[in-house]
Amino acid sequence: MNRIIVCVKPVPDPKHWDKVSMDPETKTLKREGIPLILNPLDKHALEAALVLRESHGGEVVLLSMAPPFAQPLIREGLAMGADRAVLLSDRVFAGSDSLATAEILAAGCRWIGDYDVILCGNQSIDGSTAQICSQLAEMLNIPNVMHVIGLEGSSGDNLVITQKIESGSVTLSSGFPIVLSVRKELNKPRYIPFTGILAAESKEITIVSNEDVRVDPERIGLSGSPTKMAGMDVRKFERKRERLEGTVDEIVKKLVERIYQCGVIEC
Amino acid sequence: MNEKKSADVWVFAEQRDGELHDVSLELLGKASELASQAGGAVVAVLMGHQVRELAQILVNHGAHIVFVADDPRLGQYRLLPYTHVLESLIKKHEPGTVLMGATAMGVELAPRVAARLRTGLSAHCIDLKLDEKGNLLQMVPGWGGGIVATIACPDHRPQMATVMPGAMRVLPEEEREGRIEDVSIDLPDSNMGPEVLGVERTVAGEQPLEKAEVVVAGGWGVGGKENWHLLEELARLLGGAVGATRPPVDEGWARESQMIGQSGKTVRPTLYLGIGISGVMHHIVGMDQSKHVISINSNQNADIFQASDVIVAQDFMKIVPPLISELKSRVKG
Amino acid sequence: MEFAFTEREEMLRKAVREFAESEIPPKMEKMEETGEFPVELMKPMAQVGITGIITPPEFGGVGMGYLARNIVLEELGRVCAAFPMSMQVHHMACAALSDFGTDEQKKKYLPPLAAGETFGTVGVTDPAGGSDVIGMKCTAELKGDTYIINGRKCFITNSHLSDFWIMVAKTGEGAKGLSAFIIDKGTPGAKLGRKENKFGLRGANTGEWVFDNCEVPKKNLLGAEGQGLTVGLKTISETGRTGMAAVGLGILQAVYEEAAKFANERVLYGKPIATLQAIQFHMAEIYTQLDICRLLNYRVNWMKDQNMRCDTETSMAKYYTCNAAVEAAKKAIEIHGSYGIMREYAIQRLFRDAMVTVPAGGTAEIAKAGIGRTALAPFKK
Repeated sequence: MNRIIVCVKPVPDPKHWDKVSMDPETKTLKREGIPLILNPLDKHALEAALVLRESHGGEVVLLSMAPPFAQPLIREGLAMGADRAVLLSDRVFAGSDSLATAEILAAGCRWIGDYDVILCGNQSIDGSTAQICSQLAEMLNIPNVMHVIGLEGSSGDNLVITQKIESGSVTLSSGFPIVLSVRKELNKPRYIPFTGILAAESKEITIVSNEDVRVDPERIGLSGSPTKMAGMDVRKFERKRERLEGTVDEIVKKLVERIYQCGVIEC
Repeated sequence: MNEKKSADVWVFAEQRDGELHDVSLELLGKASELASQAGGAVVAVLMGHQVRELAQILVNHGAHIVFVADDPRLGQYRLLPYTHVLESLIKKHEPGTVLMGATAMGVELAPRVAARLRTGLSAHCIDLKLDEKGNLLQMVPGWGGGIVATIACPDHRPQMATVMPGAMRVLPEEEREGRIEDVSIDLPDSNMGPEVLGVERTVAGEQPLEKAEVVVAGGWGVGGKENWHLLEELARLLGGAVGATRPPVDEGWARESQMIGQSGKTVRPTLYLGIGISGVMHHIVGMDQSKHVISINSNQNADIFQASDVIVAQDFMKIVPPLISELKSRVKG
Repeated sequence: MEFAFTEREEMLRKAVREFAESEIPPKMEKMEETGEFPVELMKPMAQVGITGIITPPEFGGVGMGYLARNIVLEELGRVCAAFPMSMQVHHMACAALSDFGTDEQKKKYLPPLAAGETFGTVGVTDPAGGSDVIGMKCTAELKGDTYIINGRKCFITNSHLSDFWIMVAKTGEGAKGLSAFIIDKGTPGAKLGRKENKFGLRGANTGEWVFDNCEVPKKNLLGAEGQGLTVGLKTISETGRTGMAAVGLGILQAVYEEAAKFANERVLYGKPIATLQAIQFHMAEIYTQLDICRLLNYRVNWMKDQNMRCDTETSMAKYYTCNAAVEAAKKAIEIHGSYGIMREYAIQRLFRDAMVTVPAGGTAEIAKAGIGRTALAPFKK
């Protein structure tokens, strides 16, 4: 195998999501001070790439569209074992929706070149659109498979892929190149080994701008994104919130009454 | 663009092994509402091999027109052939809106089609509305579900969305009139992507959670597999199904098909009874359209209480066993 | 002066925290119940680099030094203090071998320690000794090429988990009368004694060794004959005390987090108790102690990494941090009210664990005796 590209995305740490608030005036999210982490599923994608490299050789390259301050996070991926990283950083990328992001990532993949497998997480925890895998593959005009829960390189240029579906699973056979997005069932990502932390210090993170990858500016950023944010609301609950109090007997009696009142059973 | 056609709402009618996915019927329900508002038709696209008989079911659930692409090469779902067929149909008929289920198939197929058509797609919608200009307003939960974003696609058509299974209401099935039209397909012979080696069914038929009138759902607070049978018994007495939050699924107390929430199913039963559920947003987005919500949790300040009509702030082990005996003695039969 | 961590150290902390938070909690209930260390985690800890953190790379370690080790132990201790307890003694064995072992001994014993194939363990204390090291009764008598060892060693961490033991016995009289040995498991006459049943740090194995005419070949001397006190004191001071201080620091961090969470969640009279000034004062004291101890710990490990003499500083860090952990845990229990003494709440375990760190590696009193000598020395008439 020549090269495996793993797409990784820095996302706000969900442990701190309770600190996200919405400005009622501007309807924008206030997310200052929330630390970033690597999107958890992307680590599963990286693990899959490292396992493929162990058996089939090749180079593992991380690809991320993020501002330069995300470098320490990208370096975590290098510490896990990736060989090098390419960071797509440019102001003109800001505000891109998933289609525009796929456009930029595709340009990044072409810029890196010579890829056999492109791996990503099935979805990110913040946007959760789960669109990048199919859209990136479409932009590169190569096949893709989502929901990957099994991955084996059977021979030199062939992969056997298990895809999870609602009723079970589908086994597929594919050549290269291909884009795959993985579910967490696929593997358990390795912890960052301390030796990896030391090794990552001399690995390269190349920062690449649109000067290098040259995506049509009409197709990226806020203006190049077909989907637009039309509004945002904090979800509100309008419920009665009646607390049942008393002894266990009293509570159970009231509870049975409430259930009857719903009309789901007869007595 | 033809004005009339751009008011049409298309639904991708997902089937595997000749079985329609429920979400397809749910989408027809929503599409009927949107199309009548816009003055367009509801169009279903059915693909597969020997699936024509499903077309009438789609008509009976609200489709005015069903395009049937029936071909042995479409017998097994494969991303690239399906993308190709949808692309050519959409390019030919130029619908204003295309809806798909946020299923394993839908979330793979929809973005590929959208990218090929260079149009916008919103994902995992929980509701859809049309504005006065005919723009589809797509409600998408984000940040664990606590925030709902409204997405629109004003300058591109079709406007595309994938919709959470269970989020939309099915129209009552009745004899309806509709046009069923076979479409000829023109598939390239090569470059059609991975070959299917086999399909394994591991999930046996069970009462779909989304259809149950009563859902008894359990969370981490249930404490262990040994207590799970209490939920099953309660659900049986109430004629309902058992659902779960993520931890019981991760722990193996419940099956993945029972998971309710953003990464699982959306339920909207008449009664939702939550037991030992703390109420993270991921879960709440999957149940807050229930008609009545009763929650039992020993934590006095459990978040789920905010989204509940009836609150029992007690250890469920004290409440549920006597509740079961009480129901047993009172339920007829 | 520089008080910020490097990107390397930040990533190290994050890496250990992720490991600790994922792998340790599922083991803790059983550890509390049985008092057994989950040995199945040794290999995963080795893969990450915890076991070999101070061992040089040529012997299979990571060689990241003592400040790095402090971060590792502290983060493990934040989740469950029995882990850094066991690991810090494991590191003592690594340090003793690195500092005093022959090339042959290093090649034989260091790689399996780094690879997590066995536990490192060091036994200096015997029932008659303790802080009075020279007063030990355990003897090693040279007969030909073999030492005959008799006596007992007690309060040994990892005593029952290791394939070889490092121990100190009397080969003569006075300060030059002690020698250190490496004793392979299965050596005739070397037996496992009792396992202790501690009320804290329960998951860390503590026990006894019994030597009954145990025959140890001369090549198993660690360091020269008569160098045992140096081997023991250097290892205990530089690796053992810094290690115990790091255990205390991890507990202190956990105490702070538990107390702050509880104070914000617990509502009385319609408000979280965190709004009460009495609680805020408690929290301020815990938080200040935490910061003092961090500075003490990071500084002493930095000194060790610079090859500076730091025996007084290790004593200060050890006694102060472990005492501070106990005091903070007591305050946190007060903040918790009756919940503080309930098994379901972590704070009671933290209190028990903190108490066990106090005598381990030398009591506060023995530490103060040394620190006092240093403090007085410049003005001695």
